[in-house]
Amino acid sequence: MALIMAGDPTKEAKTDPVTIDIENNEFELFITAIKVFSNYDLSGYAKVSLKRRVKQLVTDYGLTSISELIPLLAHQPEAARKIVNELTVNVSEMFRDPSSFLVLKESVISYLASFPRRDIWVAGCACGEEAYSLAILLEECNLLENTQIHATDINTNALEQAKSGVLTHNLTKKDAQRYRLSGGNYSLSKYFSSAYSKQKISQHLLDNINFTHHNLIQDGIFCSAHLVLCRNVMIYFDAELQNKVLQLLYDSTIHNGYLAIGTKESLDESGIVDRLTVIDEQSRIFQRKRI
Amino acid sequence: MKSSFEHYVFIGGSAGALAPITQILSKLPANFSFPITLVIHRSFESSTSFIDHLSSTTKLHVVEVFDKQKITEKKIFISPCDYHLQVESEDAFSLCCDEKLHFCRPAIDVLFTTAAEIFDKKCIAILCSGANIDGVAGLLRIKQLGGTTIVQSPETAEVTVMPEAAIALGAADMVCSPEEIVTFLLELS
Repeated sequence: MALIMAGDPTKEAKTDPVTIDIENNEFELFITAIKVFSNYDLSGYAKVSLKRRVKQLVTDYGLTSISELIPLLAHQPEAARKIVNELTVNVSEMFRDPSSFLVLKESVISYLASFPRRDIWVAGCACGEEAYSLAILLEECNLLENTQIHATDINTNALEQAKSGVLTHNLTKKDAQRYRLSGGNYSLSKYFSSAYSKQKISQHLLDNINFTHHNLIQDGIFCSAHLVLCRNVMIYFDAELQNKVLQLLYDSTIHNGYLAIGTKESLDESGIVDRLTVIDEQSRIFQRKRI
Repeated sequence: MKSSFEHYVFIGGSAGALAPITQILSKLPANFSFPITLVIHRSFESSTSFIDHLSSTTKLHVVEVFDKQKITEKKIFISPCDYHLQVESEDAFSLCCDEKLHFCRPAIDVLFTTAAEIFDKKCIAILCSGANIDGVAGLLRIKQLGGTTIVQSPETAEVTVMPEAAIALGAADMVCSPEEIVTFLLELS
């Protein structure tokens, strides 16, 4: 075992603890500036991911410190809009967590089918993949007609992309595999058309999805839905904000309606845990109790 | 804020890392109190079997991390598939779905760099066998912030790309065989 010796040059880095303290203070100022100049409250975001994104922006803009982003927020509306979009972007993919889609198909579809009309809210829809996946699932269960999928996101760029129906990444074998594991009956590509090397979801599926801007942090209940999905969105929030958002999601779910969160998200510490029945623990799918 | 443990152990590995990591973890006693956190690149299908495998070979409790899970003693925390695992604060993890790093999610670099900033000197990071360079930059970060970094010796590693890259970058405080790593960890407690 070769131990290091004193004066090791790699120990004397530019990133000493004092620098990190300064950076953390700049980060807090930046969060305040976003609220003041752009009216987005990111104070409840989990710090680690958000700070990484902020530091990425510093690099992208060729700056040297977080503080230097603040004048952009104050004086350059276009840059400010871009910054907010960069910080709130989420990535997803078609049929992410196939086992969850399978549980939806096996345990929730029959409930949805018992209503003449249905509303589904996809809260935090990113570039649309989850809403598209859901539309395909409903189509294969003959339920798409008379179902309104409301898909919302805080990110205006992502919403524009989602509304266009064009995938950000073309389908791969893995997408096809997840689709089949989700209980898909056909070939995933049947729902897409290709043009200019991009893939676009069928218009009749897109027509059943209503993409709208909604901010889970600052806006109220978006709709009253039979099924609410909010997956891998709250992982970007701190525990306090998670609980607030969970309450909002609960309030948006009708009595006996269903709520699905990310498979690695927990609501055990939230105020709504006692008011839900666990439908599938692994997939984190719950049903609102009738009270 | 004062953290509750003297040390936090972080282990990363990729191709060829399962054997040394299993070997190391199987030698730790049930009362090894420092939290151990592990990111190992693996395919989607093998998540449960991987946890079952580890559980059957170690006396410590193996858990797959959920978002905002508390960091507690006598446990081995494993990243779930397809999420980056981060140290969020002195007492909790967080997960994120950000883009892959070095084609990896979870990425060892994400765990190591976030651990470095929260736990600095208390970090003990171990980088094992692997065929890419994920983890190397994070290991250096831990070293820069005063933590202790250990790289599996290339002669004991099945795939040497990752250990050799870490050593070349000067990110290693120590270069050790799995047996030596066990000895080092046992002397901590």
